[in-house]
Amino acid sequence: MSLRRALAITARLLAGFRHDRRTLGILFMVPLVMLGLFALLLRHDPIPVALGVINQDAGPLGGAIVEELRASDRLDVSEPTSDVGRAQLEDGTLQALIWLPEDLTATVAGGGALRPQILLRGTDPSASALTLQTVQQAILAALGAQNGGGGARPPALEPQVTYRYGGETLDGLDLLGGPFVGLVIFFLVYVVTSISFLRERSLGTLERLMASPLRRGEIVVGYMLGFSAVAVVQSVEVLLFSLLVLNIYNAGSVVLIFGIELLLALAAVNLGIFLSTFARSEFEAVQFIPMVVAPQILLSGVIVPVASEPEWLQVVSNVLPLTYAVDALRSVMLEGADLASGVVLTDVAVLAAFCVATILAAAATLRRTVA
Amino acid sequence: MSDAAAVEVRDVRKSFGAIHALDGLSLRVPRGQIFGLLGPNGSGKTTLIRAILGLVRPEAGEVMTLGQRMPQREVLDRIGYMTQAAALYTDLTAEENVRFFAAIAGGGDVAAALAFVELSDRARSVVATLSGGMRTRLSLACAIVHSPDLLMLDEPTVGVDPHLRVQLWDGFRAMAAGGTTIIVSSHVMDEAERCDRLGLMNRGQLLAEGTTAELLARAGTDSLEGAFLALSQATE
Repeated sequence: MSLRRALAITARLLAGFRHDRRTLGILFMVPLVMLGLFALLLRHDPIPVALGVINQDAGPLGGAIVEELRASDRLDVSEPTSDVGRAQLEDGTLQALIWLPEDLTATVAGGGALRPQILLRGTDPSASALTLQTVQQAILAALGAQNGGGGARPPALEPQVTYRYGGETLDGLDLLGGPFVGLVIFFLVYVVTSISFLRERSLGTLERLMASPLRRGEIVVGYMLGFSAVAVVQSVEVLLFSLLVLNIYNAGSVVLIFGIELLLALAAVNLGIFLSTFARSEFEAVQFIPMVVAPQILLSGVIVPVASEPEWLQVVSNVLPLTYAVDALRSVMLEGADLASGVVLTDVAVLAAFCVATILAAAATLRRTVA
Repeated sequence: MSDAAAVEVRDVRKSFGAIHALDGLSLRVPRGQIFGLLGPNGSGKTTLIRAILGLVRPEAGEVMTLGQRMPQREVLDRIGYMTQAAALYTDLTAEENVRFFAAIAGGGDVAAALAFVELSDRARSVVATLSGGMRTRLSLACAIVHSPDLLMLDEPTVGVDPHLRVQLWDGFRAMAAGGTTIIVSSHVMDEAERCDRLGLMNRGQLLAEGTTAELLARAGTDSLEGAFLALSQATE
């Protein structure tokens, strides 16, 4: 064992880093950025659940319950009319609606059960659970205050819970599954294209293509068709596995889900071609992966809803293509939405626009002549 | 411009940063000839080839290739280009590589191209399993498969054994007899004698141009190496 020879290797590695500032930058910046994002997402106070209360109670108890609900910092309480409330639940403005019936005070006074009617949106299991728990606490608190702390036996509490979408059985996987499918397809296709196009550059075959009558549009289309063919098979496979083997909840059109995934795959192919321009080696292309992947996993709403991010971070989320795919996939799978829904249509339009932008960017990087 | 010239380069300048890769270079290559570009590494040979192909846009001057002002895409299907490093898809077989380059150039005889470089028996071998010399030959097959009118060879015989080198040059000669113009770059002077005409390059300039005999006579030496040294000293 010669320390001198071993140190020669060490010195060579360090010299390499000195010449490769970008690797150094990535090594030292990426962990800070990722940890910082994590901190922002996880330390940020959870957004309150939007609850609509329709108080029809003729007596004082309903008002007391509303006061208690308003006092909770976990809820954002509004008092819409029944029709407006239902519409807002539909479009996602409200997570839950609660009706306090006309005879609420009277029934409780007569020793009857307390039966508020609760309609949950049902697409977010944690919001559903939080709502039910907080409502229960608020009602108990209101009752306690009315009794003045007296020893009267509290009435039975029997909320009538219904779900607009999804339901009681919806779990975390149902919420994560759809978007995760999109995520996986996007990144695998991106990585494969990026590396393979980089090989085209480093092997010198791209120079040969440029010295042939090929148009750059033909190169981009050829790549797109080739990798899309693989992506189609992959999408079908992952989708079937999710729906048939994992039984992930889906209320929408499988064809539409497939279409959204395909748009994502197309965007990923062209993003791969475009970004490979800025990498001089496979090594550098690999370094781009966390830079493209990490922010999108954290900020696209797969793990933490975009709405619960700090406002400036939402701006970042709103320029990431995956944010729109996640939103569209959730709307379709959990709510059964189709292209007639404004939300899905907007998401799909943004994804399509991103696709076109990456196609143009990819074609623009394939200049025949060097400047 | 005369139609008889396959390539005509006039006062072309191209620099990369402070380096003048082409420094006011002019050159005329007649059709159906084998033209040798000789010069040391870094003398601008590859940049000149890339300018003739339209892959480099000169800062000044003009390049006419097969009668077309470059850069121009349409003329490229009549040109074959063999890059310095064997640019091949290493995960494909030899035959698949040649077929691909034939397809993008608009067709060609794949079997004949493989036979020309004596790789017919390795047609189904994956490139990754071929030796360096075989890859060089395969790269050549890819460049000639569409029977180009103009063949650009950037140091084609590096790593090729003497026996095969003789055969390749016989092949080049046959192609030239069939009307193909061939431009070969090399830093090996002894290959130069096989060319019809030679251009001696140094520091982005054409030192001299002519047949081997003419160049030897002008420099008053009996070897091309001597001629190169004499002529490059004369211009400094």
